Amino acid sequence: MPSQRTESSATSRAARAGDPVPSRSNFPLDGWPGSLAVRDHLDLRRLVTAVVAVALATAVGLLIYGYLDLADVAMVYILCITVVATRYGQWAAFLASVMSVAALDWFFIPPRFTFAVQDVRHVGTFAVMLGVGWVVANLAERIRSQTRLAMERERHTGALYRLGAALAEGGDAAAIQTRVEGYIRQALGMPALVLLAGPDGHLAPRTVAGIALDPDELATAQWAMEHGVPAGRGTRTLPGAPGLFLPLVGSEAPVGVLALFQDPGKAPDGADPKGLPLALAAQISLALERARLEEERAEARLRADHEQLRSTLLSSVSHDLRTPLGTITGATTTLLDPGPEADPGDQRMLLLTIHQESCRLERLVNNLLELTKLESGQVQVKKEWVPMEEVVGSAISRMEEQLGDRPLTLSLREAWVPLDPVLLEQVLLNLLDNALKFSPPGSRIEIEGWATERLARLTIADQGPGFTPGEEERVFEKLYRGGRSASAPGAGLGLAICRGIIQAHGGTIKAANRPQGGAQITLTLPIEGTPPELSLDGPS
Amino acid sequence: MTQEHPLVLVIEDEAPLRRYLRATLQSFGYRVEEAATGGEGRNLLLRVNPDVVLLDLGLPDGDGLDLAREIRGWSRVPIIVVSARGKEEDKILALDVGADDYLTKPFGSGELLARIRVALRHAAENAGGTIEPVVEIGPLRMDFASREVQLDGASIHLSPNEYGLLAVLVRHAGKVLTHRQLLHEVWGGVPAAQPTYLRVYMASLRKKLEPDPARPRLLITEPGVGYRLKLGQG
Repeated sequence: MPSQRTESSATSRAARAGDPVPSRSNFPLDGWPGSLAVRDHLDLRRLVTAVVAVALATAVGLLIYGYLDLADVAMVYILCITVVATRYGQWAAFLASVMSVAALDWFFIPPRFTFAVQDVRHVGTFAVMLGVGWVVANLAERIRSQTRLAMERERHTGALYRLGAALAEGGDAAAIQTRVEGYIRQALGMPALVLLAGPDGHLAPRTVAGIALDPDELATAQWAMEHGVPAGRGTRTLPGAPGLFLPLVGSEAPVGVLALFQDPGKAPDGADPKGLPLALAAQISLALERARLEEERAEARLRADHEQLRSTLLSSVSHDLRTPLGTITGATTTLLDPGPEADPGDQRMLLLTIHQESCRLERLVNNLLELTKLESGQVQVKKEWVPMEEVVGSAISRMEEQLGDRPLTLSLREAWVPLDPVLLEQVLLNLLDNALKFSPPGSRIEIEGWATERLARLTIADQGPGFTPGEEERVFEKLYRGGRSASAPGAGLGLAICRGIIQAHGGTIKAANRPQGGAQITLTLPIEGTPPELSLDGPS
Repeated sequence: MTQEHPLVLVIEDEAPLRRYLRATLQSFGYRVEEAATGGEGRNLLLRVNPDVVLLDLGLPDGDGLDLAREIRGWSRVPIIVVSARGKEEDKILALDVGADDYLTKPFGSGELLARIRVALRHAAENAGGTIEPVVEIGPLRMDFASREVQLDGASIHLSPNEYGLLAVLVRHAGKVLTHRQLLHEVWGGVPAAQPTYLRVYMASLRKKLEPDPARPRLLITEPGVGYRLKLGQG
């Protein structure tokens, strides 16, 4: 027997040793005398009580002996036996009978204070007393076993009801697993495991409160699930096993196994011993099935949301794609087929327009691709230690053409930050692009960066009109085009991408208005670990 | 090689892009041969012996990367790969198998011509086998014989590693060098060498050579790929 089995049977033995107590406390049965729930077994205390009861009866007998008949004294003893039988069980009743006969003989039957019997009739009295003791004890025992049966039924019904209530809370399969195990252990005093079949059809081993299945038991459980019939203790398959393995069958396939461990020494209940476990298993199967369906529904809902978002994105983007394309097509047709009055200056302006619109298209397409990658989880953040000035510098040099002669204030503390340089450049390009787009030509753009040991912070500020109050959070939503951007080109993707990338880094991004006017985006990145050794010419 | 009218072999499956390349290159005095597939490009390469190859990495009949590797097996012709943005890994792979530079689609004619000029110049230097002892790039003057570096006429003191890094960049001025290539050239076989080393020395080089290290004029970062020493006129 494996170690965990020792524990499990110990658990159930423990549950049984104080049996009347847990069963009463868990299933209070109003109106039932607690005594009736008492199980019958040899208990020294009960026997002592029986002796004490007989002693009391004797005392009462001695008190009344002078006034009443011997037969009345015998009746006192019979009352005592009856009380003992109903209260303390068969064995105590037997003992009380024998003791009563002995006491009656010693104290009351002449010659008194000897066991000798003068009158042969008194032997009949003894026989009647013993007979009454026997019959009463048996009757009491039968009542008790019927009570037990009724309680057992009540227990089953109650157990099923409560399990149903516990399962009605819903939750996923794992939650159901834990809840069922906890419930059976607590309410039925029975260690239990709910094993679920993995995608490969094999039961996933599981350890709960030190109880696990050994390989043989796992194989038995697997067999039970695959064949859809119970196995283990009390079944046709491996009836000697300590555990009972009940298949949990969903609507399409077996989903798992309920393993129950009862004390091997426990006598079968009065009711069908497998009745309750089978009913439990059926209920658990239903709950698991419900959980599976719920999961499927949630997935479908998510898919639908995705579709919805995709179509919104499509309609918004198609507008943003068509506008520059329209301009380009128009400009090129004019260039191809110039009017008689065509002016070289106009031609150059048209070419410039085409160029600008192409750049706009490029940005849009890049953002779309980036967002798609981010959302489909294809983007892997490859963090490297990078000096802040390097990542800012590479973004600025890539924007050099658009920045033109815009004044730019750069104030960067020397700091090494773990980040993905390609992705972060993307963020900075978008933020710089926004700053250019939403501030008057020639106005200053300010970039500031500093870091503590745990955090790097970067702000990009412009001198434009800033955000409409209240939209500071919404600007990061995909396709949001509020206030300041309503008239500006762009599909509302830039900041959503920034947020996606920064969040993938474990950082934060916030929008705010500066007190002196203008928008300011602040992003923070966590710094974990130690920056690279900065001592120069170390590795040569 | 025809010095006057270098021959550019364009291996690119998109006809409009080929048309644009032909028009641009021809208007700047280059001769152009076109191939729409890798196979065609390979044949043409053997036949016409171009001075520079523009190779699209996304070819219909196989990977441009394989073709680059194959060409490098038997020819030293400069290869400039053309690829879409966001494919940094592809660019690095191409550069590491022997491509000389890359262009990210979409690119303007200025960028295209600059890359081709750099590639041709390096090819000429390699063919000539002569290494100029003194190189001047913008404000930077580097004397390889005396190991002296001047910025705007003032002498700059560099540590051995800084000097080593700058020397490699100057030798390949205008051309992108991957992290791997730089680490290999500067630190040879030091197994622990990693991009972080490069960043450390690049940061200190910038501090010494750039008036504003966050707006570098010379030492340009190619995010995710490597570094490039920028040539004056772009």
